[in-house]
Formats: sequence, C-alpha cells, structure tokens
Amino acid sequence: MENFSLLLHGFAVLFTLQNIGATIIGAVLGLIIGAMPGIGSLAGVALLLPLTYKFNPTTAIIMLGALYYANMYGGAFSAILLNIPGDSPAVMTTIDGYPMATIRKRPGQALLTSNISSFIGGLIGMIILTFTGPALANVGLKFGPAEMTALLLVAMTSIGWLVGENPTKGLLLTMFGILLACMGMDTLSGSPRYDFGNIYLLGGISFTPFVIGLVGFAQVIKLMEERNVQTKAVTDKLTIRGSMITRHDFKRLLPPAFRSGLLGTFVGVLPGAGATTAAFVGYAAQKSFKSEEPLGSGAIEGIAACESANNGAAAGAFAPLLALGIPGSGTGAVLLGGLMMWGLNPGPLLFTNSPDFAWGLIASLFLANLITLAIAWSVIPFLIKILSVPTKLLIPCITVVCVVGSYSTSNSMYGVLVMFLSGILGYVMQKCRYASPPVLLAFVLAPLLESNMRKAFIISRGSLSLFIEKPISFFLIIVLFAILLFPLARSLLLKAGIVKQKENNP
Amino acid sequence: MRKVVSMISLALMLASAVPLLAEGKADKASTGFAPSKDIEWVVSSSPGGGSDIYTRMISDIMTREKLAGGQTFLVTNKTDGGGEVSRLMVSRVAAGKAADHTLLTFNSGDLMPMVKNTANRLENFTPLAMMAVDKQLLFIGEKAKYKTFADVIAAVKAGGNVVMAGSKGDDVATYEMLIKELGFTENQIAYITNDATSGAITSILGGHVDLVISKPAAADQYVAAGKLIPVLALSKTRFTGSLASAPRLSEVGAYKDVEYPVWRGVVGPKAMSPAAVKYWSDALKAVSETNNWKNDYIGKFKLLSEYMNNEAAAAFMANFQASYLKSIGK
Amino acid sequence: MAEEVTKSKRFGVNQLIPFAMTAIAVVFIWLGISVYGFWSATKGPLPGFFPVVVAVCMLFAGIFAYISSFKEKEPVWPRANWLVVLSVALIMGATFLIGLLPSIAVYVLVWLKGYEKCSWKTTLITFAFIMFIVIGCFVLWLGVPFPKGIIFERFFN
Repeated sequence: MENFSLLLHGFAVLFTLQNIGATIIGAVLGLIIGAMPGIGSLAGVALLLPLTYKFNPTTAIIMLGALYYANMYGGAFSAILLNIPGDSPAVMTTIDGYPMATIRKRPGQALLTSNISSFIGGLIGMIILTFTGPALANVGLKFGPAEMTALLLVAMTSIGWLVGENPTKGLLLTMFGILLACMGMDTLSGSPRYDFGNIYLLGGISFTPFVIGLVGFAQVIKLMEERNVQTKAVTDKLTIRGSMITRHDFKRLLPPAFRSGLLGTFVGVLPGAGATTAAFVGYAAQKSFKSEEPLGSGAIEGIAACESANNGAAAGAFAPLLALGIPGSGTGAVLLGGLMMWGLNPGPLLFTNSPDFAWGLIASLFLANLITLAIAWSVIPFLIKILSVPTKLLIPCITVVCVVGSYSTSNSMYGVLVMFLSGILGYVMQKCRYASPPVLLAFVLAPLLESNMRKAFIISRGSLSLFIEKPISFFLIIVLFAILLFPLARSLLLKAGIVKQKENNP
Repeated sequence: MRKVVSMISLALMLASAVPLLAEGKADKASTGFAPSKDIEWVVSSSPGGGSDIYTRMISDIMTREKLAGGQTFLVTNKTDGGGEVSRLMVSRVAAGKAADHTLLTFNSGDLMPMVKNTANRLENFTPLAMMAVDKQLLFIGEKAKYKTFADVIAAVKAGGNVVMAGSKGDDVATYEMLIKELGFTENQIAYITNDATSGAITSILGGHVDLVISKPAAADQYVAAGKLIPVLALSKTRFTGSLASAPRLSEVGAYKDVEYPVWRGVVGPKAMSPAAVKYWSDALKAVSETNNWKNDYIGKFKLLSEYMNNEAAAAFMANFQASYLKSIGK
Repeated sequence: MAEEVTKSKRFGVNQLIPFAMTAIAVVFIWLGISVYGFWSATKGPLPGFFPVVVAVCMLFAGIFAYISSFKEKEPVWPRANWLVVLSVALIMGATFLIGLLPSIAVYVLVWLKGYEKCSWKTTLITFAFIMFIVIGCFVLWLGVPFPKGIIFERFFN
C-alpha cells in the first residue's frame, strides 16, 4: 500500500499545467509516429528525444513516457485501415483488424476496439507495475538463457495455428523467415553469417523495411486491381456515434483484453522479449479460447488480444527498466539514455534516490494512457475518412510513405531496396496463396530462440543437463512435452475407447 | 507526347525547389582552413547509443564555443552493414571541400569488427584526435559462488567451469587477453557475448553466470546498490571510489596486469587536407579542455579524459590495429 | 488476356516459390556445414547449427510444396500492378541523379496526371498533401537526411 501513496504523490507532481501539456503533446506525437509505417517506436523515440531537451527534466521525462506509450496505440491505425502495420507489434493486428474494417465494414468499431483494448492492456500493466515493480523485475531476471529457450519453444508450438489451412506452405514460410533472420552478424561468435560477401548484408536484413515491403508495399501493388472499383460509401459511419461498439461487442472484447493484458505485461518483463512477442503470444493464447467469430476473419477478440498484449508489454518493459536499469529492447535503451541524460538513473537506487521523478513518471504513464485513449477515440472519424479516399489517390500516397519510411529506418537507400524486393516477394506470395505472418513472426522470434539456446549450451558446456537442472526451465520442458504429446495421447485414448469422440469444430 | 514532356519539366522545376529546404549557406574561407559549409558527422551506430551521445556532445560543445566557424553539424546515423557501409563511405570521400567537411566517430569497438570482417583498414582514414579512454572490471553478483577472483582461479584449476558474460567488441578482446595471461582455455572460462553490457548484467543479476565484465559507467549504480561487487580491475592501476576494492591481476597472483585499451576518437577521410586536419585536431583539443566536456561527459560517464592530437592518435591507432590484426591471425 | 484456369503442368509461377525455397535451403545447408560449423563439443551449437536444422526442414517442406503445387491454379497477373513496381524502381534510380524527394515529387505528379488522368485540381491537392506529410514530418520534424543526387550535389557545392 505504500506504493499506492507514493503513486498519489506522483500524481501531485504531475498535475501542473506544463506537465499535463507535455503528456498531451507526447501522446499526440507518439500516435502519429506509431501510425507511420517505417517509423517504429525505436526510431520515433530516438528522433524525438532531442525535442525534449528544451524542457525541464521532469517534464521531459513525462513527455518521453507518453510518447513511448502512445506509440503502441498508433501502430494499429494503419494496420486496421490499410493492412500496413505501423510497427512490428501491429503485424498481428492486421490479421483481424483489416478484415474487420473492410470485409465486415466496421472500421470505426475496429479502431475503437483496438483503442479500448490498448487502454485495458496498458492499465493492467501499469497497475501491476505500481504494486509489484521491483519484484516483477526480479521475476524477469530469473529467466536466463535456459528458461527463455524452454519458454520460446512452448510459444513456438502454438505457431502451428499460424500455418493456416495449408501446413506445408506455413512451415515453408516459417523456416524461410528464420533463415532470413540468420543473415548478418552473429553476436555470439563475432563473425558474419550468410552475408555472401556483401557489405550491406553484414548487418542482415533490416526488419522494418522488410515488414513495410512484405505487407505494405505488396498491399499497394495489389490495390491496383481495385482502383476502379467504386469506393463503397462508408459515409454513414463517419461520426463518433457511428463507430461506437455495441454492448455485446464490448462484452466480447473484455475477456481477451484482460487475459492478454496480463500475458503481455509478463512477456514485457522478460529479457529480450518485447511488444511483438507479446502480441503474438496474446493472439496465440486467444486461439485456445472461444471467439464468436473465427479468428482471422475480423473477430473483435483477435484485435483485442493482440492490442492489449502489446500495450501490456510496453508497461511491463518499464519494470526492468526502472527497477533495474535494464532496457529490454532497443527502444528501452534509447529511453534509458534519455532518462540518464536528465539525471534520472534507473536502477536499484532509483526509487530510493529520486522517488519524485520515478513516481511522477509512473503517474504520467497512467495519465498518458487515458489521454491517448481520448485522443485516439476522437480521431476515429477522421481516420475513417481515409477509407473513403479513392483508391487511385491512395496508391501514390502509400507508395511514397513506404519509400520514405523505409529510407528513414537507416538513412539509406538500402532500406528502400529491401522494401522493394520484399514487396515484390510479398505480392508473389499473396498471388500464390502464401500468407505472410509466419515469415514475420519467425523473423522476430527465431533469433531470440537461437541466441538463448546457444547461450544455454555455452553455460552447460554442450550438455542438456542445464535445462533439467534449473527449475523454471524443467517445468516448461514438461509443459512443452505435454503440448507436443497431447494430440498423440488423445488419439491413443480415443482408440482405446477411454475418451469419447467429441463433436468439435476447432 | 508534348503534354507528358511539359508535365515532367514542370514537375522537375517544382521538385528542384525541394532540396533548397535542406541546404546550408556557403561561405568563402579566408586564410588557412575554416569550415565553409555544413559539416557532415557520421556515426556508425544508432541514435541514443554511446557513440551517438559522444558525437552530439562534442558537436554541441564545438557549436557553443564557436569552434565550427558558424557552420552547422549534421550528425547522421548510418547503421547499414553493422556500420561498415558508413565507414567505407567516409574513407572514400573525395578530396576537396567534401573531405574537409566530413568527420567520423571512431572507437576501438569500431576498428575491431572493421578489420576482422572487411578489407577496410585504418590507412583509409586520417585520425584527427583521441578523446577518451575507458577500462573494464570484473564483477560478481550478490549470491556468487566465488567471492574473490583468487577463488575463481582456484576453482578453475581444480577443474570447475566458470562462465563470464560481457558485451561484444572490446570486452571479448579483453577476455581473450585475460585468459591468455592466466593460461586458461576458452573452455575453462567460457564467454557469453551479448549485444550490449546491459544484457550481460541482466544475466548476472539473475544468477545465470558467474562473472561479468563491464566498464565502470554501466556497472556503477549496481555497485552502489550492492548488487554487483568488483573483484578484478583490468587495469595497470587500481580504480578509485566504490571500485577501489578490486585488486589488479598482479596483486591476485603471479601474473602481469591485464589492461585492454578501449578508446574513443574522431577520424576523417583519407583525402582530408593537412590544413583541415590541423584545424579539427586543435578544435577537438579545445573541446577536451572545456569544463562542459569534463563534467557532463567524462565525469558523467566515468571515462578517462585523454586527448591525443592527430599525430599521436594516428600512431596509437596504428599500433592498436597492428596488434589486433596479429591477435586474430591476419 | 484470358485467364488460365487449367492446371499447369510445366514449370509455372506456382512452382517458383517452392523451387526457390528448396534452392535456398540447399545453399544454407551447404554453407552452414562447411563454413560456419555445426556443433562443438565444448560450446554446443555453432553458428551453422540452427540455420542448418531449419534449412533441412525447409528442404523437405519445399519439396513437398513443389509436388503439390502442380495441383494449383495459375494465378492472374494484371499488367497494371507492375506499374507500381516499375515506379518505385524508377524512383530508386532517379534518386541517384536528382535525389529522393524530387524523384518522389516527379512520380506523384506524373502518376496522378499522366496515368490516372486526374484533373489538375485533384493532382495538385493530393501532391500538396503528400509533400506536406513527407516534408513536414520527415524533413522538418524528424530531420531525416535524404539523398540529394549527383546533379544537385554538383550544383550546390
């Protein structure tokens, strides 16, 4: 309860006009940055960091926090409206977001679902952070290489659902994604891998242009087929009222949002796992629960599950960042640098030495969450207007954003080239009926799995015993085997007549 | 057809107005060298990181102290190919105004992968100055198996396995130097490379490894909180303050002190004119003498200020490159 | 162009992806084992281990996909779609000469007016909007240094 009173004190620090103004500005900027394909939260935070130099430390930090948070909201916008994820966590949102907007013709509802779920996920994360901050961070610490390997293997088993109706194609693409991720510098050995002597490939294939191309640019190429189709008038839904979700919809989104918020927060605490992993885990978990409409067809549950998870992860990532000074990701590292520049030293001594700063920041995140929800909600009609822009005008617009966005990721035309080639690949894939999410998710998760696995083996000197010795890892390995053997066990039991055949349509 | 041509020329005319937005003014230089256009300062890593902060600090001080002739610094982060592309690009900048107005942040951690993985060498650059050096220490966690470094050595000799975590680049080289001096193999003390020291510190705080190698800045607050305890100073002299308790290797046993030079410098393209080289070298010297630099950078990040002018820096870096090349067998 | 509905028997586009993937798998396996190393007694998996294991899976999946790809319909490839691809290729090329922003400007104007045949009003409004986003957001605010192209470099230096 002591934390709660400290939090209230933090709110007192927060409620000055300047600080509230800073929160609003940070939230707006974060939304814009998040929505822009090509500028992910890392680039966004890094590029906007200098802006905060003008303000005093507390205000600057508050603005930074709001920015980081709002980023997670914004990513869903272009994902839902244009099928182009604004940043990598939003990849999962496209799966249900875009169909809900276009096929089910409920774009406003999709956006609102995404906003509300983001809010819930973020709120859950922040509450957990407030009351268990350092303890939560310590739990994260317990996940070393062996534990992470086991956990990721468990997560990978659920990738089975991702492969969709054609397992062979899905498997093929997952493997392809992993191989692409293996290209570049191999940190553990210090030497390059699969760079084919090309100096650009020494750095591997940059992820952001790859996503923009594979999903976004490919989408634009495909849009050419639809440009002469008269845009179905969505004008009647262009008000806030028109995009309200029904009570039933709201009831539908709550359970996934709560579940994913918890899951996402936990994933955010783990070393190396970020918002993208969280979104994936949240979505995969949703598969085991009932959804009114099938996932992937524009179900509210789908959007709720991933958006809540990624905001939860953003909050969860603050636990190790503030309590231990450990950035869980590149974005965290930039935030850390920014915080340090303002004399705020995240780490074990933070809460003792600078409680005002720390709790002011945490309080500001609560407020940022609320303000971002309000702003995001109010711009929904404006965003939907985008849908009514004739496709033929949208095409050059999106193409330009793809090109410019890919360039900005590394300030070089290499990004544009990657985007270009992956766009062609994505288009060909779409035409031959290959889905792209497996490639992207494998690309993100595989390096994490590989590096943890190799580190575990270095520690154990090549023996498997480490995975059994460490309790958490041992537990997860049992879970892994359970999941893998479950279908087999079930069919054996069925044959033996012990279990009745259920009428099921999974 | 005419319509298309006229459209394109109209478009080109409109488009030619666009770059004017981002262009600086040109000034005529009077005597000697003085910057006469925007200076492009390339950083081969991403914004927010150590090299980035270093670059922006120096460029800010130079602008404030009017050491840049009123011109602006354009700090650009180019991270392609792990930074190799930008280094290659800078080395090839053509002589003349371009070469005199291009700078590159260059550290020991940049040189090592460059010569290891590409054909690029120090000879393709003109060293301008050395600005700071850094050193490392070994730390143990709170609930460590081994309480001192002497314990570690004893354990290894008795057949035990020890795991050390650190960052890539400099730390790896220091590790190799250490085990060589101790006469151990890579299998006896295994090394886990992380992308950044924070990853290594995470693993030791969680008790997954026995030792962590880190520079003072990254470990500072953990030492203050009691979560990390320094057990070995990888330096020829002991550290001060909270790190003073760590012995040097020669104090632990019959070994020589192990110290690996970790340095931060600034270089220019090979084709930079001598007048420009002198200018930048002096400007950087002036920066290193400001209080701003000493307090807000060196002191804050716990580095050691060590200015070397272009000639001394060139000799130092060349020496460093030669011994590194030898150590990796090239 | 009439749509191809008959199942293809020769090497068509449907076979392209499985074939390419299988080829990539072979390359990765070969490099992985010969150059990067598979397993070491002390360190466990070497850099080549993970990619090789994955590539082997991909090899089998690829062969399987290749075989079953003959049962699929040939997809349709509308000509118009490739125009977008061509445009971006031209933008990339033009960037070397006149820089990225001017290339984009030219592209937008030529596309809207020349290809889509929009009115001047629509063209200029859309053009202004796009350039507003690009310049306002990326150039002025985020300060991204766009390439200026050889011609402008020479002009202004």
